[in-house]
Amino acid sequence: MGKFLLLAFRNIFRNRRRTIMTLVMVSGGVTGLLLVGGFFAYMYNGIREGAINNGLGHLQMFSAEHFTRDEVHVLDTGIDNWRQVAATVKSGKHIRGVAPRIDFYGLVSNGNKSSMFMGSAVDPDAEQRLGFRTNIAAGQNLSSNSSGEIEALIGAGLAKSMNVKVGDGLTLLAMTSDGALNGIDVQIAGIVNSGIKEYDDRYLRITLLSAQRLLKSDRITNLVVGLDATKNTDEVYDELASDFHGQSQKLVLKKWIDLATFYNQVHSLFNTIFIFIGFIVFFMALMSSVNTLLMTMFERTREIGTMLAMGTPRGWIVALFMMEALVLGVLGAVVGLAAGNLLASLIDYAGVQLPPPPGSTEPMKFYVLHVPSLMIGSSLLVIVSLTLASILPAIRASRLQIAEALAHV
Amino acid sequence: MDAIVNVETISRRFALDNGSTRQPAHSFVSALTNVSLRVTAGEFLAISGPSGSGKTTLLNLIGCIDQPTNGHILVDGVETSHLKPGQLSTLRREKIGFVFQTFNLIPVFTAAENVEYPLLVQGVSSSKRRERVAEALESVGLSARANQRPDLLSGGERQRVAVARAIVHRPALVLADEPTANLDTHNATQLIDLMHGLNRTLGLTFIFSTHDARLLEHTERIVRLTDGEVVSDSSTKGGSRG
Repeated sequence: MGKFLLLAFRNIFRNRRRTIMTLVMVSGGVTGLLLVGGFFAYMYNGIREGAINNGLGHLQMFSAEHFTRDEVHVLDTGIDNWRQVAATVKSGKHIRGVAPRIDFYGLVSNGNKSSMFMGSAVDPDAEQRLGFRTNIAAGQNLSSNSSGEIEALIGAGLAKSMNVKVGDGLTLLAMTSDGALNGIDVQIAGIVNSGIKEYDDRYLRITLLSAQRLLKSDRITNLVVGLDATKNTDEVYDELASDFHGQSQKLVLKKWIDLATFYNQVHSLFNTIFIFIGFIVFFMALMSSVNTLLMTMFERTREIGTMLAMGTPRGWIVALFMMEALVLGVLGAVVGLAAGNLLASLIDYAGVQLPPPPGSTEPMKFYVLHVPSLMIGSSLLVIVSLTLASILPAIRASRLQIAEALAHV
Repeated sequence: MDAIVNVETISRRFALDNGSTRQPAHSFVSALTNVSLRVTAGEFLAISGPSGSGKTTLLNLIGCIDQPTNGHILVDGVETSHLKPGQLSTLRREKIGFVFQTFNLIPVFTAAENVEYPLLVQGVSSSKRRERVAEALESVGLSARANQRPDLLSGGERQRVAVARAIVHRPALVLADEPTANLDTHNATQLIDLMHGLNRTLGLTFIFSTHDARLLEHTERIVRLTDGEVVSDSSTKGGSRG
């Protein structure tokens, strides 16, 4: 087997120019996949961390009922003893912080006009500790130490609709947890511009204490858990799942990936694009290699005839051609990996900027991540392509008529 | 004496290409017609005749790399016409050595690796291979050139490597198709001496095709072919050499 591998290796370098051309094509495919895939991975990372740090968190905890039935009254599927739950979560490994949230809705009025809002109540300190960002277009973020007035953040579209600005007052009306109507007066601390019109037209945020006063409930909708690193999500998920197993109120944990709709859509779209590029590389490698290997077969017809005459099993001829393609694929992958990683490092070092993506004014950094799984995948792709490409020439070589092959000029 | 090769009234016809892959050929050409031949172990036999007389075809049939249209061939007692391709391959691997007019060495292998190849195919252990390769190369006087690739060897040396490759697995029969055709007189004479010597010392059976008068001078038995038929089968009782 060793001698056969040696024969395959030496055969590759018989026609160096052709081998180099094939290697350039194959390694070019690997390099291209590494650069495109590395850039996509950088984008995924950016979107993922953006979503997590914009308030999604790494994990979110809900009551099980939250997913099994609609609320009759506000917060009747909320978490009961959330302070105790939060304290237990905080004591775990890799936990950076816990932020309670309430989702509610109601009517907002400026005295002349009313509009529906989708409210969210947060603990400003907890949110700040977790580093969650809010895009404040005017004014300031909520503060837990505000004296007297109840503060609120409202979306830019809602502010425009209600004809209010920072410092103005509004009245919020909502159904309490026992079904009564309640209202509170709030002062606008800041105006939020998320960039999503539908969201900004209904967005309103107040502190958790204010919401509990408005809704007359001590419950919360969910607990958002922030970790020290995204890679620890699965580990913490497993630990928390076992910690809260068998509690009187059944709780459900959701990972960020289960809640990050935008991330999942982008991931799915770009993965499809990447698979398409991969298919093109596969097809190019396959077709050009078939051609090269067929030429090799014709050039070596007499030699193959000689080997067959000496009693070489036809399967060995097939194996020899496939081994040559395999070695060529491995060499192409190695060269492609080296070139791809080098180019990626150069691009990262150069700090290339791309034009701003749609909906953004900031230019996008063209950064390429070095992803081991991508390196393995793209290498396997070209190795498999070349090996598959060798099947036809290998079978044709093995089926040569010996007498005709020996007479081949 | 036992027959190592027994050719019984064989014919070989080839279809003439009519340019279509779909329609069967309409005409044929006969390369051999009713040829019979018996070769005993240890013979040094030449098949002679002009170009197109059927020498190579006969060698191909004896060497089991082609099948006769009619007739039977027995190699070392084995009837070859009913064997499957895999069995023919095994028969060639174990019982036959080949020497070709154009040497047909594997260019990326060294002389020693070329000689080693038949043993590799037979699955001989590496230590035994090394031993036999050294013996074979020594028997053809090329021990010193063992690590040279064919492109660095002269024509005569290449053909001697080919002979070493043909005998390394100790076959029952060595077939050589025009072995001196690409050699100058000096190298041709050396090769003839070498083959004759191996025939005598190792008792190897040699069947070769040639129209080289130098080679025929030293051949004990000459089978002459003309237009695919045996026209004479003469024994000269020992060549002048050896």
